[in-house]
Amino acid sequence: MRKLYLIVILLSLSLGALAQEKKRNGSFNTAKTNPNQFLQQQWWLGFKAGVNVAQVDPSKRYSILTPTNYSSSVTDKQYDAFKELGLQTTIEITYYYKGFYFSVQPSYISSNFTYSNQLEWVNSTNISETLTQTYKQNQKIEYADLPFLIKYDITGSKLRPFVQVGVFYSILLNAVKTVDVSSLDVASGGTNTINSPPLIVGSKDLFSNYWGVIAGVGVSYQLGNVRLVLDATYRQSLSNIANPQNRFSNDRLSGIGDAQDDLNLKNIMVSAGVLFPMRYLSSSFKSNDR
Amino acid sequence: MNKLFSIFLLALVFSCAEESDPATDKANFTRIYDNNKFDGSYYPIDAKQTPDGGYLILAGRRLAASNFNGAYLLKTDELGAFVSELELPSSIVAPIGPLLETGGKYYFFSMTPTNNYQTQLSEVDATGALSKTTLVGGSYPSAAFNDNGNFLLLRYDNFSQQSIVSIVNPAGSVSKSIGYTIGAGDGVEEKFITHFLRTGRQFPFQVGKTTGGQYFFNGFYNYTFSLVFTDLTATTPIGVVQGQQADGGFSGILPLDGNRFATARFNFGDNYLIPSVTISPTGISSIVNRKDLEGNNLPELTTNAVVKIVSVSTNGKDMVLYGSNTRSKQIALLAYDKATGKFLGSRYLGFSNPFEIASISSTLDGGLAVCGTTFVAGRFPRICLFKISKEELGKSFK
Repeated sequence: MRKLYLIVILLSLSLGALAQEKKRNGSFNTAKTNPNQFLQQQWWLGFKAGVNVAQVDPSKRYSILTPTNYSSSVTDKQYDAFKELGLQTTIEITYYYKGFYFSVQPSYISSNFTYSNQLEWVNSTNISETLTQTYKQNQKIEYADLPFLIKYDITGSKLRPFVQVGVFYSILLNAVKTVDVSSLDVASGGTNTINSPPLIVGSKDLFSNYWGVIAGVGVSYQLGNVRLVLDATYRQSLSNIANPQNRFSNDRLSGIGDAQDDLNLKNIMVSAGVLFPMRYLSSSFKSNDR
Repeated sequence: MNKLFSIFLLALVFSCAEESDPATDKANFTRIYDNNKFDGSYYPIDAKQTPDGGYLILAGRRLAASNFNGAYLLKTDELGAFVSELELPSSIVAPIGPLLETGGKYYFFSMTPTNNYQTQLSEVDATGALSKTTLVGGSYPSAAFNDNGNFLLLRYDNFSQQSIVSIVNPAGSVSKSIGYTIGAGDGVEEKFITHFLRTGRQFPFQVGKTTGGQYFFNGFYNYTFSLVFTDLTATTPIGVVQGQQADGGFSGILPLDGNRFATARFNFGDNYLIPSVTISPTGISSIVNRKDLEGNNLPELTTNAVVKIVSVSTNGKDMVLYGSNTRSKQIALLAYDKATGKFLGSRYLGFSNPFEIASISSTLDGGLAVCGTTFVAGRFPRICLFKISKEELGKSFK
């Protein structure tokens, strides 16, 4: 929680610093006498929402199940790539200055990633007798995201494609894991498929805050005084999203042999929204006049 | 704008994202040692941390060609990762714990599968390699204790029908021995046999020595599962706390100081923990008539539960730690203040699949290693090892 306070305070200071800069560069009174100078800067406030897909890459693998007579790679989790949809909503606060946009976009991001592993036991005296057990895990993680982005409009027309890059810090809100266990039992006198009800476990303790970088492209369309925005971003964590301290702390998951790997998270996000200009020359002035 | 960048970068520096490191990985882990043989069956007996920080686990294993269980050794590194395993020859059966450490070696008692089930002593090094096995003599080893480099051995002699306590040195020589009758007839002996075959109830046989130097054993004496004090000389015990035939008695005894003990008892399936009680080593008393042995009833524990009791010092606190099995198939750890017997907290290990306790031991870093059996996929008995850091212990036991 202290980290969250620190970030909020620092971001407030950042915006304060920008406000001070604005004051030095000019004021509404001077802008009225010089529209060009006025249009060199602008504040935008808006909202966005969209969907995302996620993929995790294990930077270090962990397993509770430790093989003594077969390869340890059998217990490696098989991660799916960008499979399950997640959601995100964003408040965008953007400062425009001389062709560049400096944007803070606090977001709520809910991501899902999936993985599975499969184990098999064979009766050494009758190899046709086997038990195969498959674990499919869906991990939902929810974060409050604090990104800082720099955007640049490629063209200045009514339809403005843009590129953006930035960094972000993500604060863990919640995490829930759903585990589906199914078995194929060919050792009890026939072939028996066993599907157990899913195990749903709160797994917030297994994850931590993290940071990373963002890059993306988008397009904005000027509609009256507001801008409609559609953007796509790629996010890559540069720190571990798992919490090593609590890797084995969840007995429900440890009991079935699941330990969280060290993970880097990737997201592809598509968002759409609307931005409102915060500064006007007059009621007849359009923010896209320049 | 430089100012803005600086501030944001500062925020990132302070963010302190969590990264794994070897110290964290060593401090806490859970391991289940799996074998993909459908018919593989392992039950751990004891685990000891070796000087390299790894763990040496003594276990029993199913033998196809014997009614008794064979012996198995598993060596891990300090992270609990598998290093090696050794299926000991089928000439070594019914191994018992604990692993007795002396002179940089580890010893355990077992018996021969034939030839009147003779007791033998095996020597293992810290890598889990078997050095030698020596015939000790006498039958059915039941419990052992490390008495400063010599070993106390409790065994059952099926010829004289006696519980026998011996002092055995690491070379396997018996220096002293005394036996006490279990009672005439086959009634008690049958319980011994099914205990050793593991087809019947596993009795909490124990042998040890109090801080005052008084020898004791927990076993059958005169038809009753009793706590017997002996000087290893007199043919009658110097003191007995009688149980209720095979239905009541102590399920674990840990000498604390003087004549004070931390104990647990069973009574017709129920379980009671008694974290601090004074038991005189002389005289005869009955466990059912003593008010001071009523203890805390724990209905959550399985019928006649296995109870392991150890003394643990962690985070500046001396505790008596009980480990046992719950009806919900978890391993329960319950801690009490060593001086006062005050309850300090509990912790439960395992879920989803059944878990059963085998041993608890302190680790070099002030943490705890809990070894047990779990049933992978709900059916395959496998060895599990929980390593709990002293920080985690501090959170559970306040």
